[in-house]
Amino acid sequence: MDTITADKSNQTSDCLACPSCDLVFDISVLQDGEVARCTRCRHFLTIYRADELNHVLAFTSAALIFLVMACSFPFMAFKSSGLESVMTLPETALKLWGYDMPGLAFLVAAFIIVIPAFILILILALTGALKLERHNKWLQPTGRLIFLLQSWSMVEVFFIGVLVSLVKIAKMATVVMGVSFWAYAVFSVLFILATSALDRAQCWRRIEALNKS
Amino acid sequence: MSKAPITAASRGLSSCHLCLKLLSSELHHCPRCGARAHLRKPDSLQRTLALLVTASILYIPANILPIMITDQLDNSIESTILGGVVLLIELGSLPIAAVIFIASMMIPLSKLLVLFYLCWSVHRGLPSTVRQRTLVYRAAEFIGKWSMIDVFVVAILVALIHLSDLLVIRPGAATIAFAAVVIVSMLAAESFDPRIMWDQMEDDDA
Repeated sequence: MDTITADKSNQTSDCLACPSCDLVFDISVLQDGEVARCTRCRHFLTIYRADELNHVLAFTSAALIFLVMACSFPFMAFKSSGLESVMTLPETALKLWGYDMPGLAFLVAAFIIVIPAFILILILALTGALKLERHNKWLQPTGRLIFLLQSWSMVEVFFIGVLVSLVKIAKMATVVMGVSFWAYAVFSVLFILATSALDRAQCWRRIEALNKS
Repeated sequence: MSKAPITAASRGLSSCHLCLKLLSSELHHCPRCGARAHLRKPDSLQRTLALLVTASILYIPANILPIMITDQLDNSIESTILGGVVLLIELGSLPIAAVIFIASMMIPLSKLLVLFYLCWSVHRGLPSTVRQRTLVYRAAEFIGKWSMIDVFVVAILVALIHLSDLLVIRPGAATIAFAAVVIVSMLAAESFDPRIMWDQMEDDDA
């Protein structure tokens, strides 16, 4: 698309500046499903989807259900010489606490469970309120927290870490994947779909429109 | 370019870093989302450099101290990140050795070098290759959190492998230093402002 707009008739509320190079674009002309990219540095700007909120709500609620499942069953079991040890997802953090590393335990728990769960709950509350067109003074701080926290969720990184550990110990012993393993795999995909379906610029345009009405 | 590009700054507007709203550059807070507003990220170069130096110092204990301790029967083996990679190569698991080597050695190191280079290029005011440097910056920003893989691998192995006296894996002190390297370098990438490079190019053209 090509929408560099020089003339002053454009409302600044319809425009945004590329976060990488500061060039200004009018995004009010986007049709359903159209993506806006910066014409100068190719940075992704925004995508407009008329039914964005439905997608976000569906992915978010499904992701939350799978996260709860991932926390409630055995994640993996390790068998060697007739002995067996089993781990659950929260134990990845709890065991570190047991080895006197509370800071690291806190970080691991935050990156893989707490922050993602918190983001999902906030997204659910925000999109729910936007969908029902309910005015609420909490919309602004909720939205701010969602986008602040997003760079600190490491769901997909953790899942690749799980795969690497699997390959690393596969030769040493028998490893059995539990229900939680599969639940977390599905959760990772749903979490990425949910957070990428919620477009930053469009979400804030909706909040602004609701607050003005 | 024949005419000056229309940037937000050239129209007296700043762009909210959180909700992307365009607002008058005199405002201190974004009226839409309430975040603090700045025309450019404040003290971008100084903050990025300070965080980069911190991350580089933390990178030393992260590589010297053991990341994982394996207790097997009566003997206990301490392994560092590089030691783990060498061990994997000796055992013949080249692909996994490559994944660990790339995620825990190459990514953090190249990210630090890239950000140092970007800071230096802004300091020198290099006018060319802005587009490439923006791409490099975005790549460094994107891959940052992937270095946490090794910390997660240790956390998983520690939680999974505890067969009474036979085989137990314990976390080493390097995990803390390594997690700190990742977090501090993520903050460094976040405090760098690529728009400064474009500002310099436009000043050069004018």
